[in-house]
Amino acid sequence: MKTKKAIPYLFIAPYVIHFLVFISFPVLFSFFLMFNKWNIIAPMKFVGFQNFYRLAHDHLFMQSILNTIIFLVIHIPLQIIVALFFAVMLSKKVKFIGFFRAAYFLPVVVSGVVVTILWQQLYGYEGGLLNRLLVSIGLGKVGWLVDPKIAMPSIALMATWKNVGLYIILFLAGLQTVPQYLYESAELEGASSWQKFRYITLPMINPTMFMVVILSTIGGFSLFIEPYVMTGGGPLNSTLSAVLYIYKQGFFYYHMGYAATLGFFFAGIILVVIFIQRRYIEKETG
Amino acid sequence: MRKIIIKIVLSLLSFILITCGNTGEGSENKIIYWSSNNTDEINFAKVIVDNWNVKHQDNKVQFQPVPEGQSSEEVILAAVVGETTPDIYSNMWQGDVELYARAGKLVSLDTLPGFLPFIYARCDSEVVKEVTSSDGHIYQIPWKINPIMMIYNEKIFNNMGYKNPPANYSQYLRAAAKVKENNMQDGYVNKWIGYTEVDVTWWQREFDFYSLYLAASNGGHLVQDNKAVFDNKYAVETFRFLKTLFDNKYFPREKLSAKQDPFLSSDIATRFTGPWEIVHANKFKPKGFRFNFSTLPVPDDHKGKIYTYGDTKNIVMFNTCKNKILAWQFIKTIISKEGDFELLKMTNQIPRRKDLTTDKEFSDFFKDNPKMQIFAVQAKYVKGPDNCPVLKEVFDAISQQFEECVVYGRKPPDEAVKDAAENVNLILLQQ
Amino acid sequence: MKKLFTYTILIIGAVVFIYPFWWMLAASVAPQTSIGNLTLLPESVSLDSYSQVFNKIPIARSLFNSLFVSLTVTLGVVTFGSMVGYALSHLEFKGKNLLFYIIIFTMTLPFQITLIPQYILMVKFNWVDSYFALIVPYFLSGLSIIMFNQYFKTIPKDLIDAARIDGCGEFRILFRILWPNALPAIITVGIITFMTSWNEVLWPIIVIRDDNLMTMPQLVTLFAVGGRAESQLGVKLAAATLLAIPVIVAYAFFQKYFIQSMASTGLKE
Repeated sequence: MKTKKAIPYLFIAPYVIHFLVFISFPVLFSFFLMFNKWNIIAPMKFVGFQNFYRLAHDHLFMQSILNTIIFLVIHIPLQIIVALFFAVMLSKKVKFIGFFRAAYFLPVVVSGVVVTILWQQLYGYEGGLLNRLLVSIGLGKVGWLVDPKIAMPSIALMATWKNVGLYIILFLAGLQTVPQYLYESAELEGASSWQKFRYITLPMINPTMFMVVILSTIGGFSLFIEPYVMTGGGPLNSTLSAVLYIYKQGFFYYHMGYAATLGFFFAGIILVVIFIQRRYIEKETG
Repeated sequence: MRKIIIKIVLSLLSFILITCGNTGEGSENKIIYWSSNNTDEINFAKVIVDNWNVKHQDNKVQFQPVPEGQSSEEVILAAVVGETTPDIYSNMWQGDVELYARAGKLVSLDTLPGFLPFIYARCDSEVVKEVTSSDGHIYQIPWKINPIMMIYNEKIFNNMGYKNPPANYSQYLRAAAKVKENNMQDGYVNKWIGYTEVDVTWWQREFDFYSLYLAASNGGHLVQDNKAVFDNKYAVETFRFLKTLFDNKYFPREKLSAKQDPFLSSDIATRFTGPWEIVHANKFKPKGFRFNFSTLPVPDDHKGKIYTYGDTKNIVMFNTCKNKILAWQFIKTIISKEGDFELLKMTNQIPRRKDLTTDKEFSDFFKDNPKMQIFAVQAKYVKGPDNCPVLKEVFDAISQQFEECVVYGRKPPDEAVKDAAENVNLILLQQ
Repeated sequence: MKKLFTYTILIIGAVVFIYPFWWMLAASVAPQTSIGNLTLLPESVSLDSYSQVFNKIPIARSLFNSLFVSLTVTLGVVTFGSMVGYALSHLEFKGKNLLFYIIIFTMTLPFQITLIPQYILMVKFNWVDSYFALIVPYFLSGLSIIMFNQYFKTIPKDLIDAARIDGCGEFRILFRILWPNALPAIITVGIITFMTSWNEVLWPIIVIRDDNLMTMPQLVTLFAVGGRAESQLGVKLAAATLLAIPVIVAYAFFQKYFIQSMASTGLKE
């Protein structure tokens, strides 16, 4: 029955076509673009390694990568600490757990655009809610989005607020897999709360922890819409994320070849980081 | 199985139908004309188009305003990329032309019969030179300008004892200090002499640095022969002037949110703006509010005429146009004396023609509109942006230094200008 | 008392996560000048900001666009994802392993590499400023395939074999037998896909320039960043509120499914 044999191929055909057109062609074309100069309206020009040379001397690009890393370094630990803290609180058999869970998860479902516009007002220097609060309790105003040293941390704080709900849920699920008897026997031996946490809880939720780190890392590297809306990359390029810079090069200046080069390079960095993280996880759990 | 094949065929059909949609192509006997989507200009375009269509029943012009998008420049780029360009576009920013010209997307108008004599009759030879591309051809027609000048609150300056608005940097700074002194409340300043957006967006510089630089340098270039040429004392003086304003809090560093127009509410005494402000101010000014315009402040040792930036918008013909001669005939009706006069009356924008102050019809109009007269006089000393395909990046580079030096005070003006020039040269080299 | 401490923290947490949204709503209906003093309740309620939003941008149209695009994408992803997932879990064919690894590979591929060529494809296909550009590149997803594959594997092979013996074609098996038994997976994939598609902004910004075709998040983004809101706080916040409402409404009703689905992306890692 010839048709019967062909059926599986029919099933996978849409995916294969889609993959060839929208994934493998772009990757190959991107690779090809790296050696050319093209602004979309004029013909392409072969330039050999000129784009690589340019990348090597592009201080602003290096800065944007550094900015992205600063974001991750602040955002990920903050997220873990806050999420774990609330997850522990929630795991203690509280009433209305459904309500709390829903409340904490609310920012996760709402569009990042909403959160960004909202926080732009909260972070306003003169009339923003946060500064008004600080002034009313006697403290000074903070240059959340106008001080180059604070702008990226402010964005990291906002990102944490938005996403922590998801990780609270994940940690909660992880916490619930810890067998009760472990805590009970530890209590019998006189362990304090902190000791219980440090030596039972933490190791048991390692898998969840690693998952949180990897997810946050991948998400963090794609940082784009928050700086795009809130600061445009400023002040003094302190919130210029790598993706925002690549976007500007490709879709604002139309340096298609150069942007492709930047994209490949940055993708390489991401893959290396994830690879290192995965290796570390395998060592720890292996 | 059959159902699935039918679905696939249907979707392919609909895909083909939708993609082979309206490409907006003109034909031999029709002309597609895009105008800006500013209400006044749309009304103006309607008048011009109707006049033409009445006389040319077989060669009608189909007019449409640029589709609503983030910016008209983006829409044009998308049209160029997608090859859906109109025959004629009348809102092309002068700074974008070189890019499209070099890509071969625009018609070299000087090759059209009758073009050169017409253009030299309408415009100053200096202006024609300004819009000539690096390859010697002319790809754009200088159409209209909105010169940037200084609007000032007459009452505030009179109250401070000044008969005239400040003309040079020292006068401006002295007035600025007085304004600050008079408006300190608990150590917090709530009124200023002026304001400019601290935004790093590249085109904001047109309203502060670039206008002031042109004034100081008598119309000097930023970029010439593919090199940065603004590394000079004029740029440094301009940067220093602006930096001083911010350092001393004469200009607010915070964004003045538009809960109300800060000039009309007397929060700021001056602003660098264009003729569009006249109608706006007259409409919304409070009772007793008096304002006027003057030239931009210049360095104390300045000599000669005071130039400014003109936000030049020009007419271009895309090379997808099938009947270029016909299109040129139509364009002539836009920039004829009658057309220019209509433009002035309907949109309050200045046509870029050399007889603006000498022709009787125009001068009568300005007698009735003295504030516009000031702009008409300034119109002779206006510059558009330089011919450079990467002008956005150039302005961006300057904006970065503006942010560092002027807004955040992190580096001195001469260093900022030097760094900007270096970055611009790098950008130009890499094109 | 420990309990009191716990509840206090949790309530403060709830306030921290909910209050900003309340403030946003209140500010969007408050008169422009009073926003600077707003904390809890607006001085007076006016829909002026909202009417300005509706006047300046085609926001209702963008809601339709987002719904249309996201629903279509979800339909495609669920359909094709389940197809390929089924093939991987219960069908035999050459290159099965290769396909599996290719799918995993595409999931780890950072989008920064494919972004620009995908845009160029849109230009060449003439799909810029069309729904096709928003839908087709997202019509299939590796994640959905993996999720369906894993879920289908839990469905007993005997069930499927029995159907085959009865003469059921494979397509029939997929839609008549597997789908009804895989509702949790369909809901999960559906919600994740819908939310991801709805919230996607970078791609629409790149391929859609015409206001009337923009997705809702895209339109609100450009409205807030560009000058059309004329820096009026209330108007910007009104636009943001409008953007938030559809999702919050859906969330209010299907909260359980939302939380479960979006959390399970993490669990599958």
